Amino acid sequence: MTLRRARRYVRVRRAVLAASVLTVVGTPFLAARFADRSWPSGVFVGATGAARALGVELLDPLLTAGVALSGGARRGLLVAALPVLLLVVVLGRFFCGWLCPYLPLLAVSNAVRWALARLGIPTLDLRLPGWIRFAVLGVVLGGTGALGVQLATLVYPPALLARTAYRLAFGLGLGGAAVVVAVVWLFDTTVSRAGFCRSLCPGGALFSLLGARSPVGVRRVASRCTDCTVCDVVCNLGQGPMTDRVDAGCERCGRCVAACPTGALSLSFEGRRR
Amino acid sequence: MNRRGLLALAAGAVSGLLVRRSPSAAGELRPPGALPPGAFERACIGCVRCAEVCPTRAIRFPPGAGLDAGHPFLALRESACVLCMACTEACPTGALARIPPVPERIAAEVRIGVPVLDRKACLPWSGQGVCRLCAYVCPLGTAAVELVGPQQAPLFHPEGCVGCGLCEEACPEEARAVRIRARPGGEA
Repeated sequence: MTLRRARRYVRVRRAVLAASVLTVVGTPFLAARFADRSWPSGVFVGATGAARALGVELLDPLLTAGVALSGGARRGLLVAALPVLLLVVVLGRFFCGWLCPYLPLLAVSNAVRWALARLGIPTLDLRLPGWIRFAVLGVVLGGTGALGVQLATLVYPPALLARTAYRLAFGLGLGGAAVVVAVVWLFDTTVSRAGFCRSLCPGGALFSLLGARSPVGVRRVASRCTDCTVCDVVCNLGQGPMTDRVDAGCERCGRCVAACPTGALSLSFEGRRR
Repeated sequence: MNRRGLLALAAGAVSGLLVRRSPSAAGELRPPGALPPGAFERACIGCVRCAEVCPTRAIRFPPGAGLDAGHPFLALRESACVLCMACTEACPTGALARIPPVPERIAAEVRIGVPVLDRKACLPWSGQGVCRLCAYVCPLGTAAVELVGPQQAPLFHPEGCVGCGLCEEACPEEARAVRIRARPGGEA
């Protein structure tokens, strides 16, 4: 992939992410302003993870799975979950790299890690084993069934951030959801780079599972690769594009593609078939 | 996912299932159309869409991070439900069953709670004068609250009441005689 194309790709991703963050932060503020029902909720209501645009429900598969497993599913729930589900099956864990409203906070976390390193203050970068995220997903979904309460909404950053934005927009203060997000952020900043996303987030684990057969992935042209390791370094999720070690944990963010100085990497369909 | 991941998923699910069931938050007033306690908590994903579309901001979310943090409740004393049914329309999972904003359907299907009157605090019942505010604001009229006797004291009919809380909101500050409580047995 040429450098110009790779850069355009980064711009597209940033625009999509900005739109996503804008729905999470913006809709509650609009709702607070137009609560006299002049807001056209038939056009758009909700935020990333539980939005409805022009009558089409865009529900997070993790939240839907929790409802289904706890026996709380009503008619039409599967239909509401289908659009995002199909996207995940095709695009894999793209939500984490393109839409998750936690991403701006993760960028700050990485910047703080970098600054601390520059100042000579060591930060841990613990690498938890890969199976832990599946164990967390199991606990969240199993516990949801057992307790009859949606546990995902209590630990899943997109849901926590949506509730925090709502509280701020309606003048209710920060609340417990913000505290949980702060704990996640501190973990990522001081203990493990993007450690929550990589090893603990139940959403990321579920998307990796659902998107295990995704045809979209990072492809490397070995003849152009100079083994410079930049791609491995920029990856938040500990993937190894330089050695073709990219698994279902890849969030298709394309950071490695844009960072590659020789254009050896590209993100394409059938990318994982080598 | 490799075999170890599968094993971890299964082990996690089993340990999740072993978690002791906590006492459910029975007693909270849920928005109109809410499924019965238990079923509601299973279906609600805490997306806050109901609270965002509520014109009176009667729908709130708990400030904490506990098990009930993702479930809406009503603070009727501060702000009553005006039965617009916007929340039931906004709910993505059916935790709030959709009810069209038609008076007959609302009267028949909305069961937020039941009115409980403290006659010692109620102005007419305690002989402190004529008030009538509860009956005046009630959208269901005599089906839910009747005025009886020379003091025009309110007589509530729980079976005809939807529990919107307009009476609780209107009840004078010094009396605070009527409150909407969760239905005994929790049936919606």
